[in-house]
Amino acid sequence: MAILVHEHTRVLVQGITGSEGSRATKEMLAYGTVVLAGVRPGKAGERVHGVPVFDTVIDALRVHPAITTSLIVVPASHVYAAAIEAIAAGIPLIVIMTEHVPVADSARIIAASRIAQVRVVGPSSVGIISPGKGKVGAIGSSEIAEVFTPGRTGVLSKSGGMTAEIAVTLRRAGLGISTAVGIGGDVLIGSDFVDMLRAFRDDEDTDAVVLFGEIGGAYEELAAAYLASGVWTKPVVAVVAGRFTETLPIGTTLGHAGAIVAAGCGSYRSKVAAFADAGVRIADRLEEIPILLHQLTYARHLAPSLRVHADGLIVHA
Amino acid sequence: MDLMEYEGKLLLQRYGIAVPDGVLVDRGVVPAARRYPAVMKAQVRSGGRGRAGGVQVAQDVASFLPAFARCVEADIAGMRAERVLIEDFVSAEREYYVSASYDTRTRGPVLAMSVSGGVAIEAATIVPITADAPIAPTAIADVMDRAGVPTAHRAVLAECIARLWTCFTEERLLLAEINPLFMTPDGRCIAGDAKVIVDDDILRPQERRFLSLGGDIAIIASGGGASLLNVDALMAHGGRPANYAEYSGNPSADVVRDLTIRVLAQEGLRGCWVIGGTANFTDILGTMQGFLDGLRRILPRPTYPIVVRRDGPRKTEAFAMLQDAAAHEGYQMYTFDSATPMEESARIMCKLAYQ
Repeated sequence: MAILVHEHTRVLVQGITGSEGSRATKEMLAYGTVVLAGVRPGKAGERVHGVPVFDTVIDALRVHPAITTSLIVVPASHVYAAAIEAIAAGIPLIVIMTEHVPVADSARIIAASRIAQVRVVGPSSVGIISPGKGKVGAIGSSEIAEVFTPGRTGVLSKSGGMTAEIAVTLRRAGLGISTAVGIGGDVLIGSDFVDMLRAFRDDEDTDAVVLFGEIGGAYEELAAAYLASGVWTKPVVAVVAGRFTETLPIGTTLGHAGAIVAAGCGSYRSKVAAFADAGVRIADRLEEIPILLHQLTYARHLAPSLRVHADGLIVHA
Repeated sequence: MDLMEYEGKLLLQRYGIAVPDGVLVDRGVVPAARRYPAVMKAQVRSGGRGRAGGVQVAQDVASFLPAFARCVEADIAGMRAERVLIEDFVSAEREYYVSASYDTRTRGPVLAMSVSGGVAIEAATIVPITADAPIAPTAIADVMDRAGVPTAHRAVLAECIARLWTCFTEERLLLAEINPLFMTPDGRCIAGDAKVIVDDDILRPQERRFLSLGGDIAIIASGGGASLLNVDALMAHGGRPANYAEYSGNPSADVVRDLTIRVLAQEGLRGCWVIGGTANFTDILGTMQGFLDGLRRILPRPTYPIVVRRDGPRKTEAFAMLQDAAAHEGYQMYTFDSATPMEESARIMCKLAYQ
């Protein structure tokens, strides 16, 4: 089944006439995803790659009630209004690609999405892809679409670029992906690791999960707490980026807006320790991901008296 | 971005929060005598000011200038203050801590408060506040209840907290913190300090993050996540990064060119590592054209090894362009795509730079 995005996904693009919106639309169509409509106030009646443009979300829904997902690709200052419009219209999945959305706006979007019970992914999400089934956003553009091969590993990443790099690494090891989700690296995000892990837990097509996290915030620590809570049974391998920041001044912000150097919770050490306590294996290099996945998968089929040692040897527990 | 204390206080004043009477003085100016005791505070954008000697109190006219001199000479995390804020001493019957910020656990705004603020701040009480609404009086009462604020102080504190919250939401700040918040014997709230963090995404969304790390391998990284992982990898192989610099999204060639010039202008370089993952939608030809434009501006021409590892749309054309430039213009350049793991290119970079 995969999560969030599948053959039945029907997309609306808010900001379809902009360069990024137009490109994402073209890429989604090329991948076989159905894009029913786009929105750009004042451009109703136009078409972008054959997709009809409407003035408002409600107008688009009136003509295309089958829409399941909205992709928001409008300038940062317009994201709040666009997201509220999609939330108010009750679109069940809203993916915000735009970067540099003010935290205050994200907070209000998240609050509204909770009340309306719709799922928001992002801001700063590269998108979601269920290889061979569909994709929403800029993830896996034309030339590299084939690096995302269908399979049974779920991928969750704060970093858009790393979704593709992890896909390359898995593919080289003969592993494929059920769904890869760019959750974004902002301070506040609509869906965090825990939200997505819950979806993967109930997904019959996902056997294991790879998680790419980094310093800053509490999302990795929250994920570890969830994984350790007893409701989770699938193997998880995590990458935590930013070990070198341990010596930098507290409060320094790095690549993503949410990657803020912290002491205690939010630090590299805190995240790695939390994952280790939850039985999550940490890959220091991407190339270790498939090895650890194999080990963890293998370990699940061993007799209780045996376990896989860190270097891959099977030892008596 | 962190505002200086005086900038933060000006902002708080605009929202009706009282601050001590004071004057801002440039470091080179001999300040005029004020009422005593006078409090002097070095204006810097970092914490730890008090411990470093950046806060001085002059009890009388004789100690005024020496205290000012100590204040401007204080080394605060490698910085010296350009300006000093000189304020009247506030005698307080209590020092509170209060702040408005965002919490990734609740994914929304939170109000934090402690009845023991100041330098020896004790654990604060943290209460989530509903985003997209003015703060409810009940929420303020709740945080004061839990923090244990005495009844006599409540009305005036509630007013101050409401104003702080308005400032935080109206200005779309990431942090608005007052520590200490003085409660005077005559029942007034006065902000003894102001720590305000402005959202860079509102202020300067196009800014590229650059950080000096003191080593000798220049780094031009793409991708917010990949860049962190790759600095880790370089250091794991014994590499000494000169800097952290990152561009992400799909920037124009000019942006990459300017970043390249900034990175390669550093002294004492032994290598340059242009590193990124497999791009989803970044135009590799366009961004590498920007790198090459920047590289060509660096004179004399770099002789150190340049390792490029990148993949994504139009990579083949990009690498052909780079190799052509290297062959004709004499750069020691090596290009790798996703067939070579990022981490492997870190090893190659270190080997070439330090052989």
